[in-house]
Order: sequence, then structure tokens, then C-alpha cells
Amino acid sequence: MGNLTKAEPSILHNLAIHAPENTPQWSNVRGKNLKALNSTAFPHRKIEEWRFTDLKPIERTEFVPLSEAGVLPATDIEKYFIPESDRSRLVFINGRFQEKYSSIGGLGKGVTVGNLNANASHETVSSYFDKLVNYEEDVFTMFNGVMFEDGAFIHLEKGAKAEAPIQVLNLYTDASKPFVATPRMLVVAEEESDVTIIEDHIGLSENRYLTIPVCEVKTKKGAHIHHVRIQRDSINALHVSRPIAYVEKNAEYHSYTITLGAKLSRNEPRVVQEDEEVNFTLDGLVLIDGEQIADTHSVMDHRFSHANSHQLHKVVVNGSAHSIFNGKIFVRRDAQKIDSFQENRNLLLSIDGLVNTKPQLEIFADDVLCSHGATIGQLDPEEVFYLQSRGMTEEKAKEVLTYAFALETIENVKVESVHKLLIEEVYRYTKANSVEKVTA
Amino acid sequence: MRHTNKSFLKQKLNQKETIVLELKNLHAEVEGEGIEILKGVNLKVNKGEIHAIMGPNGSGKSTLAKVVAGHPEYEVTGGDIIYNGESILEMDPDERAHAGVFLAFQYPVEVPGVTNTTLLRESYNTIAASRGREELDPLEFDDYIREKLDLVEMNPDFLERSVNAGFSGGEKKRNEIFQMAVLQPTLSLLDETDSGLDIDALRVVSDGINKLHGEEDAIVLITHYQRLLNYIIPDFVHVMIGGKIVKSGGKELAFELEEKGYDWLESLAKVNGEAK
Repeated sequence: MGNLTKAEPSILHNLAIHAPENTPQWSNVRGKNLKALNSTAFPHRKIEEWRFTDLKPIERTEFVPLSEAGVLPATDIEKYFIPESDRSRLVFINGRFQEKYSSIGGLGKGVTVGNLNANASHETVSSYFDKLVNYEEDVFTMFNGVMFEDGAFIHLEKGAKAEAPIQVLNLYTDASKPFVATPRMLVVAEEESDVTIIEDHIGLSENRYLTIPVCEVKTKKGAHIHHVRIQRDSINALHVSRPIAYVEKNAEYHSYTITLGAKLSRNEPRVVQEDEEVNFTLDGLVLIDGEQIADTHSVMDHRFSHANSHQLHKVVVNGSAHSIFNGKIFVRRDAQKIDSFQENRNLLLSIDGLVNTKPQLEIFADDVLCSHGATIGQLDPEEVFYLQSRGMTEEKAKEVLTYAFALETIENVKVESVHKLLIEEVYRYTKANSVEKVTA
Repeated sequence: MRHTNKSFLKQKLNQKETIVLELKNLHAEVEGEGIEILKGVNLKVNKGEIHAIMGPNGSGKSTLAKVVAGHPEYEVTGGDIIYNGESILEMDPDERAHAGVFLAFQYPVEVPGVTNTTLLRESYNTIAASRGREELDPLEFDDYIREKLDLVEMNPDFLERSVNAGFSGGEKKRNEIFQMAVLQPTLSLLDETDSGLDIDALRVVSDGINKLHGEEDAIVLITHYQRLLNYIIPDFVHVMIGGKIVKSGGKELAFELEEKGYDWLESLAKVNGEAK
């Protein structure tokens, strides 16, 4: 693996080599990443990690540099603003920072919310940027490292509490040709600080684009981060995301990923424990239909004793959609007293839907409690009958049960307007799917 | 006794109007499996009446309740179900509910994520709409169900809990009767409502059912034991064995069953079976 000599360079390799060089002056990561990229082959299905996920939609698309894609302007952006973040919002369009729509500096002393380019001299940026990324032989993170132009930067000083959630809004516009966007995000929460981040990816049209967001998070001693990630990309979009979080002593990192959009998505969240007494969550909700493929490959890496970790990954599949889940839980030697929970529940609404699930526990310590489970099922006919006998039509009963199934995963989203928005999204999905459910 | 033509006719007419449920030689099997469970059930239930259907395990009494409510797992292979003068065989379970049929489940289903209030308001309003009653907005509905809570002595907190999720066996059964109170059915099929109830809960639930019962509705109790019938006095008792009603009588039949068990009727079922 990793040798390009035999493989043809992929479209991403070609773009990285030929596209105009737009990486900012302050960053010195382009060269390193380009070198790595040039000696790394594009993944294929013979590699275990990509067994179920066909990347042809990426390989066969003639992506062009953003400057040649003929992108249309974004309109009506305001409707995606969440009211809680009116003083703490970062807006990116196709990966480029939009100062006029953003709202920075509103959270007062100790909380920096801005773009990377404007904060390049911040010592946190030079200490951590591109240094937390840890994905083995990964063409996508390398590509991002070569192509990124800017990104979101969130920093909390020691003891700082962000009094409002920070919204990082990534919008993708319609364009005449498919393009690639490479958003970046760096979040560093110093000791005893506290922040909630809403990361949203929205496709404004139905065009094809590829977005490769790379997100680095550092949760220092006693800090708390609540990270909500919503993926509502265009129905023809391709989305490959790399969010990685490090958790220090007594710190907490809780992330909730909601996957609704994109033709093909590959999400690889990772959490790495850096000391004892930590608590982290990596929950997910996936609602897919039609020809969508949603793949989650996660890693929860327990390296020290005394950790509580939680992963509830719920999936609803309709049409001929395909869900893939691989949840790795590592418990290293000497990482004792770990309490880790993992559950992947899949609800199949159609005959043509497909689910691949693989919980993967690698435990090298002996005093740990790791529970895990994976289920694939349809709606229980007894439950449908129960609701019908209370007067609901079959469609309505199925809708209610699907809604109930999905709802559990978003109950922990604390920001009110986002919680409401997600309930509406769940409702919209169950509603839109009720007709097909009856005929299925 | 002599009847004039006119009064006879009137009586007959009234009788027709008062039949809520009539099962005519009803046969049913598990869909797709070809195993016949109901083997020709005949039953007539009038308004204002309480019927108890008793029988040993596996006699088909729970199936009977489910078939009348329209459970898709069963296929009716012969006979008819007449409800309020019309065959309901072609009706979906929800349409039967709209028409006033209610089944209290032996094993009520848990629906996490949907609160009792949400389910009941949805149910109440759909049923109200199809029965020409007025729909209630959330505030009106709240007042309405709080009254009904007292009937089964339930804590109001329970309204905001998910339907049956984490409920004890007894709470689930109470919840079924609470739903019956809210939905005001014309025909209630109560499937083993007494099982899983301790003696206090049984009294509360029975009192609730007795208060709900009136001149305009009918109740069919499915029960294995005579115990429930000490609290709810049936007008008729039927014994079901091997997918058929083999004996019918008044409430005293229940006492007889309590004393003698079902064995003495098993032979009767066989004779009947062979005779036909």
C-alpha cells in the first residue's frame, strides 16, 4: 500500500499537481502533504478499509479547480443562521471565508472565533495546525493539506466559557462544473474551558462537488466540547470528512453527527484519549434514501485508564441506499477501568436497501467493561398493528415508529434551535418516505 | 305467551339494531402458514352486554380478539365478522378503530420516543373525525384526558412518558384501559387484561372498566381465569376449545369452570368436532 508506481494518478493527484497554488503564505504544510500525496495511491475496494465503499463517483468525476468551476453566487444565506449564534458565526462558501456574513469577536475576552488566515500569528495555530491530523496513508487529508485556502479557527483561553454556541456554516453553491472544496477547522479548548460548536455543511443546489473537511480538535485538561456536525450536502455531492479530537485529563468531548445529504459520504471521526479520567461521545444518526451511500468508519482510542465512552450510531435506510459502519474501539494495554458503550442500530425500510456493519473491538487490557451490539431490522409488525389499532393508518404508524427510532440520537443536542431543526429534518425524512414504505 | 304481529316485528327490529358484533362461522389461519386456528366461531354480542370468552391456553381466544381487530398476521378463510350490521373483513385495523373497535392488548407494545399524550391525541382526533365528534386542540385535550386518568388512578406524570416504555406489566395494562377510556369505543375486546395485575391493580382496572361500560357499548373479555369475573360480572360466558365455542351460558358457567377446569369440556369439543 502507499506506492504510486503501479497505480495511475487519480483525479485528486492531478488536481493537486496542476491546480493554481492558493495555500496561504503562513502555512508550510503544502510541500510536505504534496510529497506524501505523490507517493500514496488512491484507495480501492481491495483494501479492507474500503471494502464496501466504491469510490468510482469520485474517480470518474472531472473535477476542476474552484476558479474554473463557474460557481454561482450564494443567495438567501441568512436562513441558515441559527439565532443563538448571532455573535459567533463563521461562514464559508465552497471553503472560502465570508467575512461579511460572519460574526466574530462577539463572545468577549478569552474566546477567539475567526478564520485561520486572520489568526495565523496566533501561537496555537503554529503549535497545532495540521499536527493533530492522524489518518494513515490517507489521500484525502493529504489533498486537503495541499489545497486548503483558509479555515475556521476557534480558541478558548484557560477557563473561558463560550456563552453562546459557535456556528461554522459551510455552504456549497451551484456551479457549471464539479469542483472540490477543502474546508479546515482547528479548535483548541485550553484548560477548564467550555464551548459548543455547530458545524453545518449545506449544499444550496443539486450539483456535484466534493468536499473534504478536515477538523482538528484539542480538548485540554478539564475542558468541555460539545460538537454537533450536520451534513446536508447536495444530493449529488461527495463528502469525505476527517474530524479528529484529542481529550486530555478530566476533559469531555461529545460529538453528534447527523448525516442527511450527499450521494456518497465517508465520515471518519476519531477520538484519542491522552490521559486518565475522560469522557467522550461519538454518536451518529444517518437518514438515507434513493441511491445514497453513507459510510462511517470511526475510531475510539482508549489509551489510559478511567474513561467513559459512548457511541450510539443509528441508521435508517430506504430506497436502494447503502449504509456502512465500522466502529473501532481500541483499549490499549494498561488502559484499565474503561467503560465503553457501542451500539449500531439499523432500520431497513425497503427491500433494496443495504447495510454493512462491523463493530470492531480490540481490547488489550483486562479490567474493562465494553458493551457493543449491532442490529439490522425492519419495523416490527406488532408495533405497526398496535398503532393502527389506535386509529393510525399504516403509513402514519410507520412514520411515527421511524421518527421514534431516529429521535433518540438527537436528544442530546443542547442548542434549542438546532434540536428543533434536527427534529424537523427527521420529520421531513419520515414524511417523505411514508409513501414508498407502503408500496415496499 | 302471545305476541301480536306488530310487537313481534318491533322486537325483531330492535334486536337487529342492538347487535354490535356477530361472528358467523368464522375461520382463520396464520397468514401464509396454513394452520387453522379459528375453526368456525359463532357469536352474537348486543349493545350493553359483557361477554366473557374463557378457555385453556392455545384454544384460540386471543387470536379471536386479534382477528376481530384486523391483525394482518391472520387470514380469514371463511365466515364473516359483522360489526354494527356490516362486514368489516375488508377493513384495515385503523378503519375498524375509527368505527369504534378497540383491542386492549395482552402484551402492549412499547413505543419509545412517542409520548402517551401525543399518541392519544392523534388517536382521539382521527377517531373523532371519522365518527363525527369534535376534534380537541392540545389544551382542550389536556383537560379531557386528565379526567380519564382518575378512572384508572394513574399519575399525570405518565402522560409525558413514552408509550409503555419502561412500564411494569401492571402499568401497561392500566394504560390499555386508560386508552379505552379516552377513545370511547363501541366494542372493546379486552385480551387477558387481568394477567400481570396484582389484586389492588385488578380492582382499580375492573372498577374503571365497569364505569366505562354503558348501554351503548359492548365488552368482550378474553380471560383464562375466573378471577376477573368476580369484579366484572359478565352477562354471558363462552368456553372456547380447539378454535370453537363449545359451550355458552350465564355467569354461573364461570364458577363451574373454576370448579371443574376445562377437561370435562374437551370431550365435548371432540364430539362436536366429529359430529360436524
